[in-house]
Amino acid sequence: MAMSQESQVKAESADGVIRLSFEESIYPKDAVFGAAYVLLDRAFVHIDRNDGRLQISVRPKPGVTIAADAIAGEFENEALAQTWRREIIHENRAMLESITSRALGGAAGPPGLDDLLDASLGDLGDAFDDPLGIAVSWEEKYGKKADGDKPAEAAGPDAKPAEEPKP
Amino acid sequence: MTQLRFHKGLYNPDAIAAAVAAFEPFATFERSEEPEHLVVSLACTQPGEDEASLAGEFSNYVLGATVDRVKPEGQKS
Repeated sequence: MAMSQESQVKAESADGVIRLSFEESIYPKDAVFGAAYVLLDRAFVHIDRNDGRLQISVRPKPGVTIAADAIAGEFENEALAQTWRREIIHENRAMLESITSRALGGAAGPPGLDDLLDASLGDLGDAFDDPLGIAVSWEEKYGKKADGDKPAEAAGPDAKPAEEPKP
Repeated sequence: MTQLRFHKGLYNPDAIAAAVAAFEPFATFERSEEPEHLVVSLACTQPGEDEASLAGEFSNYVLGATVDRVKPEGQKS
C-alpha cells in the first residue's frame, strides 16, 4: 500500500485499486468527471463524494499494462488541465462570444437593401427624409409616357442631331 | 451480486437508467435508494462472466452517460 499526500490531492493504492481524493472547492465536479472520461477506455472509474471531497476509485481494466500509479498520475494531471481549461473559458467568455457572434454574422453575408431599410437608424432621426425628392429616380420622376416617346424628342428642340458615322 | 452506489449529486439518474437498459442482456438488476445514493445491485446472467469487470463497465457507462448529459456551461438555463 502506497500513499502520497499533496496539498489538495490525496492518493492511495491497495490491491490494484487507486483511490484519489480531490478537494471539490479546488477541482470542480465537471473537471473531475472530464478527467475520468479520458480514462474510461483503460480503467474502471467510480466517483463518490464525502465531506466536500470527491473520491475516485481507479482500477485498470484486465489486459491493460499501464501501472495503476501511472494512471493515477495521469488522472491528476488531466483533472488539473480540465480545471485550468474551465478557468480560461470562464475568463475569456465575453471575448469568445464576441468572436463567435462576429463570425456567424459574417457568414450570413452582407445585408440586403430591405435589411438596410428596415434597420433602426437610432439617433439619426429624420436624417434620411427626402422632402425635395432628391432620392427619387429619374424614371419615377419623369417616367416615359405610355405611347413611347423617342429619346431624341424627349431631349428637346435644341438638341443636336446625332453625328453620322464616319467611314 | 455486486453493489454499486452512485451519488445523487454526481450521477444523472437518466444515465443510470440508460446503463441498466444497455446491460440488461448481461445481468439482472435491483435498484434501491439511500438518502444520498442510488444503489444498483447487479448479478451476471451468463456463467463464467467476470462480474467485477461487468460492474466496472457498468459504472464506466453510467459515468460516460452522465458526462454526455451535462450541458456546457453556456447552455445552462
